[in-house]
Amino acid sequence: MPALEPINGVRAVAQPDALDAAAWEGADVVVLRVAPDEVFAIGATSVSLADPDAIVEPEASFSAVTLDLAGVAAVSAHVDWSLDAPIGGLVQGKIAGVPAKLLRGDDTILVVQTAYADELERRLGWR
Amino acid sequence: MTDGRVVVDGRPLEFIDGDSIAKAIVRAGEVPGRGGALCLAGDCGNCLATVDGVAYVRTCQVAARPGTVVARDPVGAKPPLPVVDGTDLTRTPLGWAIPIRRADIDVAVVGGSSAGRVAADQARAEGRSVVILEAAEGSEVVGIYPGPAIVAREPGGMLHLRAAEIVVATGAAEIQPVCPGNDLAGILTAGAAERLHAAGINLGRAVAIGTPPADIDCEVLEGRLVRFEGDDAGRVRAVVTTAPDGTEMTTRCDTAIVGLGLAPRDVLARMLPGEPVRPVGAAAEAQPLPAAPTDGVVCRCMGTTVADLAMAWDDGFTELELLKRASWAGLGPCQGGACLPHVRAFIAARTGTPPDPFTARPAARQITLAEAAADTTIDAFRRTPLHAEHLALGARMDRFGGWWRPWHYGDVVGEYWAVREGVSIGDVSTLGKLVVSGPDAVEALERMYPCNVADIKVGRSRYALLLNERGHVMDDGMILRMAENRFVLSFTSGGAANAEMWFRDWIDTWGLRVHVMDRTMSLAAINVTGPLAKELIARLGLPDAPRFLGHVEAPIASVPCHVMRLSFTGEAAFELHHPIDRSVELWRALMDAGSDLGIRPHGLQALFGLRLEKGHVIVGMDTELDTTPRRLGMDWAVRMEKPAFIGRAALERTAKLEDDRRWFGFAMDGDAPVEGAPIRALPDDADPGDRGGDIIGNVTGSWRSPLLGKALVLGWQRRRPFADRVEIDGRAAVATPTPFYDPEGLRARA
Repeated sequence: MPALEPINGVRAVAQPDALDAAAWEGADVVVLRVAPDEVFAIGATSVSLADPDAIVEPEASFSAVTLDLAGVAAVSAHVDWSLDAPIGGLVQGKIAGVPAKLLRGDDTILVVQTAYADELERRLGWR
Repeated sequence: MTDGRVVVDGRPLEFIDGDSIAKAIVRAGEVPGRGGALCLAGDCGNCLATVDGVAYVRTCQVAARPGTVVARDPVGAKPPLPVVDGTDLTRTPLGWAIPIRRADIDVAVVGGSSAGRVAADQARAEGRSVVILEAAEGSEVVGIYPGPAIVAREPGGMLHLRAAEIVVATGAAEIQPVCPGNDLAGILTAGAAERLHAAGINLGRAVAIGTPPADIDCEVLEGRLVRFEGDDAGRVRAVVTTAPDGTEMTTRCDTAIVGLGLAPRDVLARMLPGEPVRPVGAAAEAQPLPAAPTDGVVCRCMGTTVADLAMAWDDGFTELELLKRASWAGLGPCQGGACLPHVRAFIAARTGTPPDPFTARPAARQITLAEAAADTTIDAFRRTPLHAEHLALGARMDRFGGWWRPWHYGDVVGEYWAVREGVSIGDVSTLGKLVVSGPDAVEALERMYPCNVADIKVGRSRYALLLNERGHVMDDGMILRMAENRFVLSFTSGGAANAEMWFRDWIDTWGLRVHVMDRTMSLAAINVTGPLAKELIARLGLPDAPRFLGHVEAPIASVPCHVMRLSFTGEAAFELHHPIDRSVELWRALMDAGSDLGIRPHGLQALFGLRLEKGHVIVGMDTELDTTPRRLGMDWAVRMEKPAFIGRAALERTAKLEDDRRWFGFAMDGDAPVEGAPIRALPDDADPGDRGGDIIGNVTGSWRSPLLGKALVLGWQRRRPFADRVEIDGRAAVATPTPFYDPEGLRARA
């Protein structure tokens, strides 16, 4: 069964232009643009932003799992919103009633707040 | 040739391969439902029965299989409710989970008629994706919902299908007879007769009224149908017709076949006016209405007779939708599939114009609650990073404010005393936490809050109410200044998400240069409280703890913390906000370092008692939707001298009005009354034992104080003059100023 694991990164709220041009430090950084003015960068350790009032905080409150095609299909059965985002796109909504995010790609990453991780795994039948 | 047996009302009946349950029952010479004309096409409700424990199943649409158990409804009654063993329903297993398949499609064609195939081919030729949902092939459409979206029952579960366009190609249904005796068994539509005849079922002596069935040897009756006559067993034995000259003629029969015409089978197409749902083929073809009914049952599902229609009509319900609601015709399992043409004919005979068909409602096919609720989820409750720690400590967890929280650890009073006399820790990770930053941060917060913000110094904090435009209390929490243009705001556990939206909306509306980040789930928080809390904090690395309402960022047990000196319990308290991935480490360090101080964790139950002794409000628990600061006795938290803040105009206006609601503290002997209990008026001169009078309020919080030795109550009075003595739970209670405990607040500041 897939298992959600805690992930670390950096979260930033800033002017959209500043986020567009942000330089992220870290290994294999995956940038999730969760809102026009907000980014969660998985794997990032710091960021350079052209916004003196930006809020930048280390973030350890998310868990994630990489899904293969079968896993995506299984999760999709519990998604009540459209999954027609382009590859590489981020889609957000509820999966089995739990707020979550999917980053679509060759490998799809399922991201959820750790506070919900146990509940989501139970609802997906992963535990 | 027998291929198996189904069990009907406890008796095995033989069927042959290809029989539906209804057909197998008819083959045995019996009736699948409780009389009425059978269509065997799924249009009427006359073959409904309970099949394998599922009620309201159209037995003509379900294949007979060996061992299928069928229970026909009691005569004149609905199917009985399922009996659950035992009384504790929470221990009853769900039974089965119904899987859901979700899909998106360009065009969904419901029904496999030729018109549907044509529509499907045409859509495919246009390059659109198409699916055909055909009940006979296992996809039984239950309803069409906004989207448009189709919900269908499939052999493997439920299908939720979003479609850009829905084509309803479900053909036409045969019109049922309405006249006295139409509830007898042995009446068939022409189509049903053809199906039974093709299945080799002997119909006995058959007579036909209207268009006769093909290839069946039967007597075709002339004239107008007057009534059916039956025997004591409720089976049709004769058909009475009237010749043009008015002469009645009675014709004996074993089976009466009616060919009264067709009506569009368009119930699905009528569920969603205005959406891209279109009927095609026979489902879209207007058909002549039958003759207006004059006697008999119109809607067998609901038992509506022609007399019922006439009575409702005479009462003024002279439009189709009104007549439907007043008479209940069309509200049953077939959703008007059988009765609608007759009801329209009834109206047309009185107005001269046939009304448009009424809007249909899902479900067009009965589904079980499990099928309806398939994959429906209740709200998810969050777990703090300390969830496992609480369980290991024996906590009883409960849901509160959107989170799983420790209600107690087995000894509420012991937890209480640890706070009052020693040191205790509590998990307050659930508190809402926003970071606000930007050059307009002060301006934004001055407008958001009714208290002053600009004069909060860096490193200091202030309690604040959050009001809406009507001056009603939405939430409360702390404002903590981190830097000139940066603040941390805290909120109640259940109010954080709403607060974030509230702030973002207003800041966007005002066009202020402010960033907002919700850190509610990023940071955990542990409340260290009690007279020995300062000692414990010092042991773990903070000898110079901030003074009351101060805050500082400092490591505690090497865990980076934002230490806030607050108090909800009435004792010295430090909230340690920290990254959630360090929470267990910090919790254990506190428990270890405080072991010789008698440290123990406290749960919500003790916390609520502690706060109640202080008279602290819990927004959402003590407050109502229209609670104002004045009603709470918290005008001190509002600075009306400020030129503008959300809710100010409403407060200014209502301040001139008398207000008959106030939140009070009460003290009384004995145990604490239940929360929610009524508060009754009690005259000042009432004798002990006198009962109270009118209900003038209710209890919002109660607690038997171990320290004060009496029951303490918080609650509302909603009638002036506010009473000094009231009755709660049959006992006298005395209005008492709050805080009940340490009114000067010396212990919190110690």
